[in-house]
Amino acid sequence: MPQRPRRILRRRWATTEGWRGTRAGMWAWLVQRAAAVALLAVIVLHVRTPYWGGVQALLLALVLLHGLLGVRVILLDFGLPVRWHRLLLVLAVALAAVIFAAVWGWRWS
Amino acid sequence: MVLKVFRWSPGFRERIQRFWVPAKEGMTVLDALVDAQRRLDPTLAFRYACRVGMCGSCGMVINGRERWACRTLLKSLETRIVTVRPLYHFPLIRDLVVDLAPLAEQTARVGATFVPKEEPAAFARVGADAPERRRIDPAIECIGCGLCVSACTMVANDERFPGPAALNRLFTVAADSRDAGHPDRAAVLFSEDTLTRCHSQANCTDVCPMEISPTESILALRRRAVRGLLS
Repeated sequence: MPQRPRRILRRRWATTEGWRGTRAGMWAWLVQRAAAVALLAVIVLHVRTPYWGGVQALLLALVLLHGLLGVRVILLDFGLPVRWHRLLLVLAVALAAVIFAAVWGWRWS
Repeated sequence: MVLKVFRWSPGFRERIQRFWVPAKEGMTVLDALVDAQRRLDPTLAFRYACRVGMCGSCGMVINGRERWACRTLLKSLETRIVTVRPLYHFPLIRDLVVDLAPLAEQTARVGATFVPKEEPAAFARVGADAPERRRIDPAIECIGCGLCVSACTMVANDERFPGPAALNRLFTVAADSRDAGHPDRAAVLFSEDTLTRCHSQANCTDVCPMEISPTESILALRRRAVRGLLS
């Protein structure tokens, strides 16, 4: 008797149900990837308009976000307990905000 | 309260069926499903056994998150509409019932079985406070409920990725000094679809009712692999 093809459900990302229950670690991963893609576009913009403050600020924000979320992953890779991953996410975003605010105050205000 | 339940049988289209169930104090999602099945639709299929959070057979996706139905109080969901779906990434059998056989298949595929050394000591002593035991102990309580595999987004993207449960099991034997190493392990571990495929999202860790961290086990395996390459 021929076997029916197996039916396997996957999260449908185009639906709200698919995103329901999305957790901190997933957001951290997504934001880091999104920042990387956005960086490609902003770097091109920055090369064309190097003295435009808005683009400089956006570039800095994306570099901080992407870089510090990357440091978070490296720290987990090197053996920091995984149960700290949410705390590390908060620290990475907070540190990015503090550095951004400091540079903003010094450079663009 | 309203239960919105995923229904599907081979040869039929999937649908969401609504059941109106009177919520009572202390009622769990499993209680609500049993009530719906007994009073409203005896064809509703779901799996359960112990009903007290020991067997892990009632794993489902409840309001978007993998949980055991028997350990999920309706009150804790803080909503009167509860959506219940089968676990993701497993072959569907019917309604909320999935085939968990891939768990065992993936565990066998990565060589996560104990292989004794050729010249075993009469008794291989691993003390209660030995560092080796302290590393392994948190990972050995897996009862194979499949919640971690359902929550893992990488399983969805790469069919060759063994998933968190199999890799967690692999860690428990690979870190055991009495184990000689399965011949299949190295090829699996160093393939691009295994250890490097985990992106440390910790979804598996977040949903595990046994408080195991498969992410931790995968990262530990990765460190062991790197040390092996460098030594």
